[in-house]
Amino acid sequence: MSRVKRFFRTYKPFTRAGMQELIAYRANFICFLIGEIMSAFIMYFVWKAVFLSTDSETFMGFTMEDMVVYLFITFLTGYLTYSDGAFSVGEEIVDGSIAMRMIKPCSFEMCFLFQELGNRIISVAMIFVPIVAGVEIYRYAVSGMFRLQIGFFLLYIVSLLIAYMISFYFNVCYGFMAFFFKNLWGTTLIKETVVGFLSGAVIPLAFLPSGLAAVLNFLPFASLSYTPVMIYMGMYSYGEIAWRIGLQLFWLLVMYGVSKLVWRSAVKHLAVQGG
Amino acid sequence: MMRYIRLHRIFIAQYLKKLMEYKTDFLLGAIGLLLTQILQIAFLGIVFSQIPALIGWSFAEVLFIYGFSLIAKFLDHLFTDNLWMVGYRIIRKGEFDKYLTRPINTLYHVIAENFCVDAFGEALTCILLLLYSIPQLNMPFHWYTIPLLLVVIVFATLIYSSLKIITAAISFWTKASGHITHMLYMTNDFSKYPVSIYNKAVQTVITYVIPFAFTAYYPASYFLTGKDPLFCIGGTVIAGTVLFALALFVWNRGLKAYESAGS
Repeated sequence: MSRVKRFFRTYKPFTRAGMQELIAYRANFICFLIGEIMSAFIMYFVWKAVFLSTDSETFMGFTMEDMVVYLFITFLTGYLTYSDGAFSVGEEIVDGSIAMRMIKPCSFEMCFLFQELGNRIISVAMIFVPIVAGVEIYRYAVSGMFRLQIGFFLLYIVSLLIAYMISFYFNVCYGFMAFFFKNLWGTTLIKETVVGFLSGAVIPLAFLPSGLAAVLNFLPFASLSYTPVMIYMGMYSYGEIAWRIGLQLFWLLVMYGVSKLVWRSAVKHLAVQGG
Repeated sequence: MMRYIRLHRIFIAQYLKKLMEYKTDFLLGAIGLLLTQILQIAFLGIVFSQIPALIGWSFAEVLFIYGFSLIAKFLDHLFTDNLWMVGYRIIRKGEFDKYLTRPINTLYHVIAENFCVDAFGEALTCILLLLYSIPQLNMPFHWYTIPLLLVVIVFATLIYSSLKIITAAISFWTKASGHITHMLYMTNDFSKYPVSIYNKAVQTVITYVIPFAFTAYYPASYFLTGKDPLFCIGGTVIAGTVLFALALFVWNRGLKAYESAGS
């Protein structure tokens, strides 16, 4: 028990620092958020036009109501699972400041994780409730009934947390790799576009050719966004949810393992001169 | 004027040397931009596989508008990318003093310093989309179509660049304004689709407040249908001129208010 306590005592300051950082730069945060959420609104209008242009009530199995939930919950999920805390690892290796991290009596990725958690706590407080409430009010206005199912909602949160952890370890691996490429802007753009596509954030996987969709559903990227969103929407039965979350846990373990391996081999080859 | 043209050649030559050294970096940036656009278009393809037209707009017309929207975007990206750095880094880190000590216009110097070749990812998408969509469309063509197109391109690019200059100049007062540039810049995505899909409020904003609709949809719809030249083309010219005048004004006022952040 005391070990757990010590663990949290060690990393609490990082969480506080993460929170303070976000509060200090709150204007940046809000402007950035507005810029990002705009794309969800553009897609909302595009879908509205699509449904106006078709006679049928559904588009490849999705109603307009489903589409709205999909767009905004995908935005929310993507925003909350976004992780760049470990991004500076590569830079620190190059300039040698990683040495300062290694002499401290704490695990390097836990420092990043807890700092980012502080960041996330504030974002959750600021955007989670408004977006979920907005989506549910919309659904209520359209269908005349309360659609949110508590069971699915709670499972969504579980799935969201796992998705965040997968994203975190995935980006730790990416952070190590990124320093091999000098153009971080370009590689990050490619990474984000590819992950966005593979995770179903750009196009719902259900709209893709069934063979491709089946493969993508199994890859780790679907676990980042598509799985939690589908759970929220009630598209999966409880049996299917169990198997999806199991798959998420599997990918989390894989990402964790890979990030450890990369860290080990990086440390082994690390030689800091001066610093 | 001649002096600036000569200087620009030197700046670009300098830049190309840098480019040769970091070839892969630029390639990666361009591939990233190309991929982003291709996936968006794949999405449109899937949508149009299920519906014949998007509230009256055919697939080819939508692709034309989309491609048209990239012309000004990529030109602005190519030439004025350094403006982002003013709001994100240059002023905050005290690097702006450098520009003040040189005997050339500061705005020109900031812009000429960088030349963002990554934008060719967008240019390529733009060319492919136009080449694919134009043969399928029955567009009116006159002797003045091409000159008019050139005029539109110049003023549409001015709309983009002026908005970036204004938001970058805010950092003369606040030290950092990259996030404001980001917020305004993101609204350009609205102009990729026919304006008629939006509600009245959004239409008003992207026409009169942040007039990105004049960089794509309005001029593109004129070239598609030949209707409303005064509003579609005239609007672009007016929006570009007014914004550019405002941009110069704000930039010069900002220079007077500028205090170095130290270095």
